[in-house]
Amino acid sequence: MPKKRVGALEKVDADLSYSEDFLNQYGQYRSQRDIFLASPSTATSTGVVSFRDLIDFVAHVADCFPEDTAEFPEDLKTILTLHHASLESELREKIVGSLVLLPTPSKTLRTLLFQKILSDLRTSNSKAKNHRLNRTIQTALFNLLTSDRASAKGIWAVKITRELWKRQIWTDAKAVEIMKEASLADNEKVIGGGVRFFLGGDKEREELEDDSSDEEAGIDIGKLKHQAGINKKTKKKAKTLERAVEKVRKNEKKKKQPHPLNFSALHLLHDPQGFAEQLFSKHLQSSRSKLNLDQKLLVLQLVSRLVGLHKLTVISLYTYFIKYLTPRQPSVTSFLASLAQSTHNLVPPDALEPLVQKIANEFVSEASASEVASAGLNAIREICVRQPMAMSDTLLQDLVMYRKSKDKGVMMAAKGLLSLYREVDPDKLAKRDRGKSATMGLKSGTIKERRFGEQEVGGIEGLELLEQWKDEERKRKRVERGLPEELGTDEEDDSDAEEDWGAWDVESDASSDSGGWINVESDAEIEISDSEDDKPAAKKAKLDLKAKSKGEDNDKNGDEENENEDADKALEQKISKLATTKILTPADLAKLQELRLSASVNKAMGGSKSQSARLKELAARHTDDALTAEQIEGFSALRKSTKEEMVALAREGKGERGEHKSTQALRRDKKNAEGKSTTNKEKSRKKNFLMTLGKAKFKQKRSLTQTKRVLKGHIERSKRGGKRGNIGQ
Amino acid sequence: MGSSARKKKEKKKDFQKVKLKVGKTKQKADNFTDTSFKSKSIVVNQQSLTTSAPSSTSQFAHYLSLASSSRSDTQRRDALSYLTTQVSSLPVNEALPLPTAVLLPKLLPLILDGSSSVRTQLLKFLRLLPYADIGDRAESALLYTRAGMTHLAADIRTDALAMLEWLLEVAQEDVITCAGGWVKTLNCFMSMMGWAVSSGSTKWTSASKASFGKAGKSLPRQLLVLAQFLRAGLVETESEAVLVDGGMFPLWGVERHMIPSRSNAFAHLNLFGSSRDEEGEMYIDREDRQRIFHKRYQAAVELGIGNAKKEAGEAGRAAAVLTKVLRDGMNDYVGIDDAQ
Repeated sequence: MPKKRVGALEKVDADLSYSEDFLNQYGQYRSQRDIFLASPSTATSTGVVSFRDLIDFVAHVADCFPEDTAEFPEDLKTILTLHHASLESELREKIVGSLVLLPTPSKTLRTLLFQKILSDLRTSNSKAKNHRLNRTIQTALFNLLTSDRASAKGIWAVKITRELWKRQIWTDAKAVEIMKEASLADNEKVIGGGVRFFLGGDKEREELEDDSSDEEAGIDIGKLKHQAGINKKTKKKAKTLERAVEKVRKNEKKKKQPHPLNFSALHLLHDPQGFAEQLFSKHLQSSRSKLNLDQKLLVLQLVSRLVGLHKLTVISLYTYFIKYLTPRQPSVTSFLASLAQSTHNLVPPDALEPLVQKIANEFVSEASASEVASAGLNAIREICVRQPMAMSDTLLQDLVMYRKSKDKGVMMAAKGLLSLYREVDPDKLAKRDRGKSATMGLKSGTIKERRFGEQEVGGIEGLELLEQWKDEERKRKRVERGLPEELGTDEEDDSDAEEDWGAWDVESDASSDSGGWINVESDAEIEISDSEDDKPAAKKAKLDLKAKSKGEDNDKNGDEENENEDADKALEQKISKLATTKILTPADLAKLQELRLSASVNKAMGGSKSQSARLKELAARHTDDALTAEQIEGFSALRKSTKEEMVALAREGKGERGEHKSTQALRRDKKNAEGKSTTNKEKSRKKNFLMTLGKAKFKQKRSLTQTKRVLKGHIERSKRGGKRGNIGQ
Repeated sequence: MGSSARKKKEKKKDFQKVKLKVGKTKQKADNFTDTSFKSKSIVVNQQSLTTSAPSSTSQFAHYLSLASSSRSDTQRRDALSYLTTQVSSLPVNEALPLPTAVLLPKLLPLILDGSSSVRTQLLKFLRLLPYADIGDRAESALLYTRAGMTHLAADIRTDALAMLEWLLEVAQEDVITCAGGWVKTLNCFMSMMGWAVSSGSTKWTSASKASFGKAGKSLPRQLLVLAQFLRAGLVETESEAVLVDGGMFPLWGVERHMIPSRSNAFAHLNLFGSSRDEEGEMYIDREDRQRIFHKRYQAAVELGIGNAKKEAGEAGRAAAVLTKVLRDGMNDYVGIDDAQ
């Protein structure tokens, strides 16, 4: 705690020189205090020296005269607790400030101050960010943590920072730096606070945000709904669509957020490598670390998270895992999850292979319990998702055989492993396990074994969709004009290009509706001067010009190539050349956005994905969310319950079954008890037989036209969707 | 019956609980009626429209508030002098325009006033108040007097001594027996004269180096007032002496069994207040006062007297007076074993 002191007093031997003067002042303080306590509301002394100044003075020098001022803190506390409401604000502030200066303030005071600091910071940051204040506080907290690493004082810095992070008042790297220092402290509590912040702080922040944000009418979902409505309606489909739309909307909202600097704490770290190494060596590797298993697990989780997220290299981390990978180890699933989390595609397979081997040996065997085996298999799969080269083919083939296991958890885990390798590296599988598409891919060469460190080539998300769409459009237009669908070798494809330039802006994007009607002169060459006149802005025109001339050349080349390669286009989905050959207009970008949206809807509804897309998704999954022990436990977690528990679970909510009735009867009773009437079905079943007789008899006497009408009516009704139909929807 | 979903929703709306949100005002109910209205303020040019002059009582109250809360020194002084003339010109048996209970709490803080003219005027005014009224309020008066005695400004301290003298004159018994009246006041004397001993264990015995306690001229006066105070507290009065000496011969210690004559006779038991420490305690009996004086101050006082005597002159004479008082007060003190 930074102490303000009267500078001169520190140098002087307080006992000798100033004690009498101090006692005089202290006497004055005491008499003023008595006056104050006698009548707190009226005694706002406006004398030469105010009570406030006296308190200030005594507080500053109190540690020089500990015996004389023994009762001083108590005095202040009684003043605060008895008269806090009637104190004038400045005096109150001074008293609180003085109390903090004193050596041992009480715990309740600390909590009070904590809340006060928080609310102060919140109010001062409510309208606009008060950067100066934030910086000062952050520096103070940082110093608090670094000045004495062993003390528990740092917990307050952690608490304040976490709270402010949660409320998005502090979102900068400095706050993260404070937490980093906290996790490198020597005190267990402070370490725990810091580490927990990194593991859960951002989630907490998001949750708070979700709570506070209102539901707004988002994007136009009517269109999507309409498209879904064309197909056959089932409840399930409607639900999936709804969920998908919800998800897309949520994503959109997240993207639209005005906070551009809303990075997660893990991303804001400076030097994550150094941090991970320090954490590991200080808290995990060192034999002097006093952390217990739970705390160690937390730290391990953080280290592995860092390693996985930033693709760090901490080789000794993997050997550290070895001794914990036995089924008898407490909370071994957390260890497994951490291990999987700390794996990424830049970890040398040599470091991982013994670990995978050990998991396989220890966990996965016929003799081990099914939960153990499934946990082991899941862990292996999670590791191999991130680094497929960590597995040898013999081991893989062994493990894949467990898909015939009788236990569902083990079976599912093994199948997961199998399907993973079918996509990632089918060469390692036995031939009969590879499956059709993998075999075909191997044959055609689209699935290749990837080398260590090989990177996916990037691109613009959804660009291939745009290209595909453009292709289709072009074909459609050509058909409309009565030309063959494919380009002839001698024809030039300019129409499309010109149309694009015409539809530079989103507003003018009528191309999809108007078809080829407008472009009468589409087969004419583009005249540069014309297009220049069209554009109002000179700069834009220049840009167009350049792009166009370039685009034309490329188009020609590209088209020729296209035709040549048409045959072996087959399954492979190359990187689209669209972006490198053409300039995307705003209309294009809008279309791209739309396509992306529909694609994500498709994906959420379980449409087929391309192989590479699935791979990418697999690889990207762990960057967003941490892997948990529950995921490792997988399906077997469900089976942990005993039979009694399961029976109880099934019985739950069914009520007491005192008498042995049919389920129907029970339901009817329940309905009666709730005051609900019978259903139509029930009514018709209970209807008096004689009342139905007339209708039944009449049925046989109906004339042909009557029968026809009835049948027609039936068809009509079924089309409408029942008696009530779909009116109003 | 059609469009039932929408209708159902509408129906449901009435029974749905409105979600309250932080930072937003609660939605008005459907049957809410706006009863607010606007009005224009009326400005009156003349502030006072009374034709008759204010009564003397209200004027007295006005000046009292001026004296206690005005910002300017001269205004305070003038208000006080007005009060003084008003009170002094009252007929003999006439009651004060405002009771002492109202006057004192307002005026006592002026003991600590920065301007000396205000303080002297205050003392003049206080001397006019009926003696009997002061006794009951001695405690609060002492509070401010003590604050004045330990004040940093030397002239405030001197004037506070005059105030203490006046208090000893008018309500001697109450001053020394009220809560905190004995020990705390002695504390103030000690720190004022630089005789205070720090409760911390000092290894050094040194002459007082205090920079403000030693206003050379005021020391004799301080000594004299201290002597007066000690005499009030330690030396038994004649009536007591007569009783103790066996004035009513066959009876012994009769006065202790008689109905007490002072107000709030059982205040020292402190039945209803918060508990007091040694300093804030009431010391009703002479023996108690002697004991606490012996325990805490005697050594320091004797040392101080010795030093003062060496200074000779006025201070020396005052010290001699103090010595005599001390001798009178403590000669019959039998050391009680405090160790119990």
